Amino acid sequence: MKRLMTKNLQKRAMFNKISKLIAGFVFFYIVAMIVVLGNGSSFMGRYFQDFFNPIANSIGLNTTWNFFSPDPAQTMYLRYFVIFEDEYGNTTADTVEGFYPKSKDLGGDFRLDKKRDSYAMRFLAVDPYRIEVFFTPWLCRKNPGATKVQVELIVNRIPSLDQVIAVVNSNINDYDNILTTEQINRYIYECPHAI
Amino acid sequence: MRSKIKNFITDLDRFLFSRSHFEQLAIFRIMLCSTLFYIACFRQMNIDQLGPNSLIPRELALSVFPDFYRPVVQWFFWPDSYVGTVHMILISLLFLASIGLTNRALLLVTWIIHQGILNRNYAMLFGADVIGGLFLFYLSFTKCNECYSVRRLIFKSESQIQKPVDPISSAFFRIMQIQICVIYMYTGFEKLKGNSWWDGTALWTVFANPQFSQYDFKFLSHVPLFFAGATFLSLVFEIYFAPMMLQQRYRNIWLSAGVLFHLSIGILLGLMPFSMVMISTYVLFLKQEMIHKWINQLSILFKSIRRV
Repeated sequence: MKRLMTKNLQKRAMFNKISKLIAGFVFFYIVAMIVVLGNGSSFMGRYFQDFFNPIANSIGLNTTWNFFSPDPAQTMYLRYFVIFEDEYGNTTADTVEGFYPKSKDLGGDFRLDKKRDSYAMRFLAVDPYRIEVFFTPWLCRKNPGATKVQVELIVNRIPSLDQVIAVVNSNINDYDNILTTEQINRYIYECPHAI
Repeated sequence: MRSKIKNFITDLDRFLFSRSHFEQLAIFRIMLCSTLFYIACFRQMNIDQLGPNSLIPRELALSVFPDFYRPVVQWFFWPDSYVGTVHMILISLLFLASIGLTNRALLLVTWIIHQGILNRNYAMLFGADVIGGLFLFYLSFTKCNECYSVRRLIFKSESQIQKPVDPISSAFFRIMQIQICVIYMYTGFEKLKGNSWWDGTALWTVFANPQFSQYDFKFLSHVPLFFAGATFLSLVFEIYFAPMMLQQRYRNIWLSAGVLFHLSIGILLGLMPFSMVMISTYVLFLKQEMIHKWINQLSILFKSIRRV
């Protein structure tokens, strides 16, 4: 009986040692990954890419931790026109004008499901290629019969604090006068099914 | 030399495996999983963006990621047409995890579905989705149901104090502590790269942007130092978070400041789920005795309310 108990205790101690060893190894691997991939685009990140990335990318650890940085984004939204034409270029239905997100530059609705549209818009706005590959086919699917889509990015540049102090503090209504609006990346894209 | 190595190993052993931290893990589980549950409930309204009519077609879902960040595994194993059902399962699993009716394997399944949902449409991810998912992954390796869980109520076996230390739980507890410190540190460093943060006007750009700010704060331009001060304090808070967690003396002060910082962000910028995910990680830095004290005070409060 005593021998059996000793054997059991020995077994448990051995098991404990092995699990500590595994936990210790996992700890050092993950901590190294956390530290190096915190700035993944650095030399260290690139150097250890093959060692860390397959796991870090799969568990969602390899992300840039940049919130409102390096600089907070400006107010922006997408404006689009869905065009309906026949094969000779004659208009077959009224052009549809729309905005993405629907709330434009007003913000307003902070419900989580609405907010996701704003996040998707910022994802698209980064690269016109994304508008061509993702946004255009999506709009065309939503508007059966559409042949082309014209999309532009509207950016409202927020005036600097110095500008606001100099101009607006005399009259808050002047704020809208110093807001500058830019329309950039205006392109017309063909709907995939129309090509 | 040999004794130095021996001492190092002993210290490391004490740091990693001396305690199980079941209380902290349990409170963290409740806060994190209920926040993820709340986010998932709202995401159900965006379900069309995760199915066949999504902005990102299924076959391009992973190619959207930049090469350096692209996942090797495609976690969304379900067909697009089943996404509604799968997402409802995720909501149920997150609810079960919040009340503590789960285990390591089930938590890992919860994380896999969560990660699959995130990977399916990378375009519309919140910071709370990403950070919450990462911590859910770490949490799934811990025994976070040992305290304050329905599972413990049902299976009233031995008390958690008598249970031996679980090395895996303990190691992942430390990993989570380090992870949150690194997140704050790099977030602070990234901000220093931006002119507006260095200039002290970044928060003006945030508060004057109606797409970020819930309320119109333009009137605060009459007190410009408010923005300069708040910008500077945000930087100091984030960059010095890790060193302050190492200092027992300043830890609680910094955590209290963090709660205030995140609650302000949550209320003023409408980022409450993100704030709750960040605040939930603070529990990992609290002492067991403090949690006991708070729980006792809460139970006294509930009892007195019931009596009334």
